[in-house]
Amino acid sequence: MEHDTNSFILLAAILVPLVTGVIALLGGRLNTSALRSISALGFGIPLIIGIYLFCNFDASLIGEYNFELRAPTGLESIGIYLHLGLNAISLPLFLLAGVVGLAAGLYAMNSKAERLNLYLALLLFMLGGLMGTFASVDVFFFYFFHEFALIPTFIMIGIWGGAGRRGAAIEMTIYLTVGALLSLLGLIALYVTSGVDSFSLLELRNYLSEQPLSETVQSNIFALLLFGFGILVSLFPFHSWAPKGYAVAPSGAAMLHAGVLKKFGLYGLLQIAYPLLPEGGEHWFSLIVWLALGNILFIGLVTIAQKDLKMMLGYSSVMHMGYAFLGLVTFSVVGVGGALLMMVAHGLSVALLFMLATCIYHRSQTFDMSAMGGLATKAPVLAAFFVAGTMASIGLPGFGNFWGEFTIFAALAETEHTRWLVAPAAIGIIISAIYGLRAVANIFFGQPKEVFVAQLESDTVVDLKLSEKVPALILIIALVITGLFPRLLSDNANSELANLYPVEDTLPHHEVMTLPSTTDAHKELTH
Amino acid sequence: MTATQTLLFALLTPLASATLIAFFLRRRGALASYVSVAAAAAIFVFTVLAIRDMGDEGIVASWDWLTFGNFNVSMGFLFDGTSATMLTMVAFVGFLIHVFSLGYMADDGARARFFGGLSIFMFSMIGIILADNLIMIFIFWELVGFSSYMLIGHYLNTEEAAAASKKAFIVNRIGDLGFLVGIVYAYWHFGTTNLSEMQGIILANSGLISATIAALLACGFIGKSAQFPLHVWLPDAMAGPTPVSALIHAATMVAAGVYFLIRIEFLFPDSIKCAIAILGTSVAVYAGFSAYGQNDIKKILAYSTLSQLGYMAAAFGLGFPGIALFHLITHAFFKALLFLGAGSIIHGCHHEQDIFKMGGIFKKMPITSITFLIGVLALCGVYGLSGFFSKDAILIAAGLQGNVLFAMLTLGAFLTAGYMGRLVWIVFFGKPKSKAAEKAHESGFTMLLPLVVLAALSVVGGYMNLWPEQLGGIIRGSKDALHHLDGYDAMHHTVLILGSAACIVGLLGSFFFYGVGATEDRLEKKAGPVYGFLKARLWFDEIYGYYVAKIQQRFANLLSVLDIFVIKGIFVRGTAGVVGLLGLGSKSLHVGNIHGYVYWFLIGLIFFWGVASGLFKAF
Repeated sequence: MEHDTNSFILLAAILVPLVTGVIALLGGRLNTSALRSISALGFGIPLIIGIYLFCNFDASLIGEYNFELRAPTGLESIGIYLHLGLNAISLPLFLLAGVVGLAAGLYAMNSKAERLNLYLALLLFMLGGLMGTFASVDVFFFYFFHEFALIPTFIMIGIWGGAGRRGAAIEMTIYLTVGALLSLLGLIALYVTSGVDSFSLLELRNYLSEQPLSETVQSNIFALLLFGFGILVSLFPFHSWAPKGYAVAPSGAAMLHAGVLKKFGLYGLLQIAYPLLPEGGEHWFSLIVWLALGNILFIGLVTIAQKDLKMMLGYSSVMHMGYAFLGLVTFSVVGVGGALLMMVAHGLSVALLFMLATCIYHRSQTFDMSAMGGLATKAPVLAAFFVAGTMASIGLPGFGNFWGEFTIFAALAETEHTRWLVAPAAIGIIISAIYGLRAVANIFFGQPKEVFVAQLESDTVVDLKLSEKVPALILIIALVITGLFPRLLSDNANSELANLYPVEDTLPHHEVMTLPSTTDAHKELTH
Repeated sequence: MTATQTLLFALLTPLASATLIAFFLRRRGALASYVSVAAAAAIFVFTVLAIRDMGDEGIVASWDWLTFGNFNVSMGFLFDGTSATMLTMVAFVGFLIHVFSLGYMADDGARARFFGGLSIFMFSMIGIILADNLIMIFIFWELVGFSSYMLIGHYLNTEEAAAASKKAFIVNRIGDLGFLVGIVYAYWHFGTTNLSEMQGIILANSGLISATIAALLACGFIGKSAQFPLHVWLPDAMAGPTPVSALIHAATMVAAGVYFLIRIEFLFPDSIKCAIAILGTSVAVYAGFSAYGQNDIKKILAYSTLSQLGYMAAAFGLGFPGIALFHLITHAFFKALLFLGAGSIIHGCHHEQDIFKMGGIFKKMPITSITFLIGVLALCGVYGLSGFFSKDAILIAAGLQGNVLFAMLTLGAFLTAGYMGRLVWIVFFGKPKSKAAEKAHESGFTMLLPLVVLAALSVVGGYMNLWPEQLGGIIRGSKDALHHLDGYDAMHHTVLILGSAACIVGLLGSFFFYGVGATEDRLEKKAGPVYGFLKARLWFDEIYGYYVAKIQQRFANLLSVLDIFVIKGIFVRGTAGVVGLLGLGSKSLHVGNIHGYVYWFLIGLIFFWGVASGLFKAF
């Protein structure tokens, strides 16, 4: 295989955070500024590479990968290669990992965490794993990099987690282990039953498109992947690990996990399960629909009941995953495209909100929203950023999340058998407005609650510092770019998805009478 | 500069202004206010240029925004007579309110945020006006909702503003739910949401009109224009600064709901139009009664706005969208005038808003008072003033089509004159009834100038002959249609007499009933239950409040408990059991040691690698 420079640049996006992570880990005696410079490289270079590769992306390679790299690993006998590459579906997520990684890294670098070098090293390992996950063409490495990124999450919760971390960490670990194992079983079953002797997604796809598996086999393997990936994405009712886990996780880990790593499951369904096992997807259609509605309506209402800021954010993130599942079940380019936009935008907004929640905690010393109030007078920029994050997450146009939600609603209405879903799913836009705006009002507006008056007057309550503003702005700018110019991501993804998903002409073709002239148009009608 | 570019500048200038203020002028309130006012002036200039260049064809342009499969969203302009009329009004009234705010907000600590918010609002509002498709309308619709939220919550450390801003946004979202569903249904029904294309499709085959889609889209109007049963947010929205009430909650944003209906009039079957006419008429009367139970000058005006929006809806429902637009425009002039006048009085009385604590304002603030009185007369539809022409046309349209609606709308006109008379006699005449009113002083130049200009427009705005030729095509169309109906002349006379009578009876009646410069509400004293009933406004707020606190919240809490105990109880133990069964049987899986899990992960991976690479083949 021909490798050009860009293939190695892609590899560097994975290696740089890993290498800088090792340096940070071993260089315990490095002074703080050296540690920061090293980790800044590790956090920054993947994003720079991501942007560089985005600019050099060749969209005409539909059904293939850009920047392919294939290296032997000693596992050739069963068809495992270190096979990297990007297509128009993985590229947005690759960029997402870069952006959230940089924001989380910059925020962590200036945090007052104990054993900062270990903390940064683990975040860097996590970032390396994330870049690898979305750059993998080989299904084995896709899974391996995910596990590689997951382990630091557990360790970080164990060491730097908040109160009650033990129980939450155990619950999270059990769930994610089961989810990962089920999806691994599914992937191995796919490998075994296809008999293609390769873990390359490309070869699997080419082979299965010519010799599809029987319907029973498809639906069985799909079930493994659905529940495996579903647990990882907090599909209702396998979600209870998420709010508690995020509530105790240190902000860096919460940002990277909720923002990026969690998207692994959706990405797996979108790029692997649905295109390779279409009949399996059809078989489980009804169940996924009801579970996704459970995410949106049941969890949405549960979110309204939350008083703890981080629990609220955790539940709202669970709720929004329901939209992504609804996008996927439509099995159409529109729906899956919407889910893709949703994944990217949600990753940015949830990372922003988790980070700002920690910023709020540093000022309020509590996550209890019913014991705050009036924070906006002392910290207007923090309030403005939090409002921006909330508005993004509840789907205000101008931020990327809107396109995700709206496109998914449009996709649901495209065909008769999903059309009824639009209204119940769209009730979510009211629910999310309720909990989002309540949180804003409780934390920032009105008069401080009695218990909060003294705290609000103390000197610790200052507006956002530069070290908090910069990472927040990075995420906000990314949200606005996806909101204003969704085509940056959607145009290429659209062609790629049209290759993976069926395209039918569902638009009605009506006769159009030309209007006399636009200015007289209304006049004509009224006569 | 092409005409399209001119429009783009009109749209993007306020966005640029808001961005500039947000990032660089946060702490320079004065400079921020000048930037925002300059942007508003620029919008007006661009509007005039665009109208000059629009020609007979109007300005049509479109750009792709997003495409996935068969789903395509574009951003585009449909600048025709209707949108040109609306844009002119918004740009002009908007500019005047910006100027007024220079004086009104001069002492405000968060002036930059306020003016940034005004710019964001202008951007969003212009987007709605120019939009050529439903999705783009929806996008800017949500953005005006956001700017409204931001500006209602301007005095953010008061509980009132915190609650009102939240309520406005959430109640609007309820309407937007229907709007959203309507849009996606319309997209697959017509194959497009472009206004001209949909109109062309319906012209070719009127069988494609769908009552479901029309009703769903009308939900957006009900939310934004605060119609029954989603009207509850508008009176509360008066917690925002008064210029905001004038701009957003009287002249432009709430009227955007009506404008939206006018834009998509061709989508409506007669049944839905009829429903909208009944709805609008009911709101016109309901809000008219409610205004008698209010003592806050802004809330009285808010109910008046609700009532007038009802008139516009009635005009639309009766089949005369042009007349709805006509009333929208004249209402914008006199209601902006009234709100700014109220703002001037509140400013002069050191933020006193209770009408029974004012009194004698006429002597203290003569210019404000005279302009305010002109606004009152225009609102009441006194012969020759702007409100007369539009309200007259609505009453004629109603009179020619049904007795009940006609009677109710005439009653509404009487109620309007009555509650405005109550306000006028109590606020402007008699003796000052509080220290604040005693010390009242006339406002400065920047506040008086907009009042005078708006007063002039409230007088002459109804004379269509004075309007530029490019504007108001649809208004002329609807008026011609009305003129050609049978019985127009007779009805015209009836309405003239009845309307004038309603006006005189209302104004004089309130004079005799409430008296000049009253210190307390005579209705409250003499007929407590009646007053209490009016003040309760049919208990909508109480019912909704009960639902939110006692039903929705309790249900959410119940689900939350279920989530914690049932789901977690069953599934966590269930899955933990599965893990045990997987035969990994090590005790470290049960002791809950986090490091244990990590090691198992690593060992599992190494094991897998070993199996895969054939390491164990020897065994």
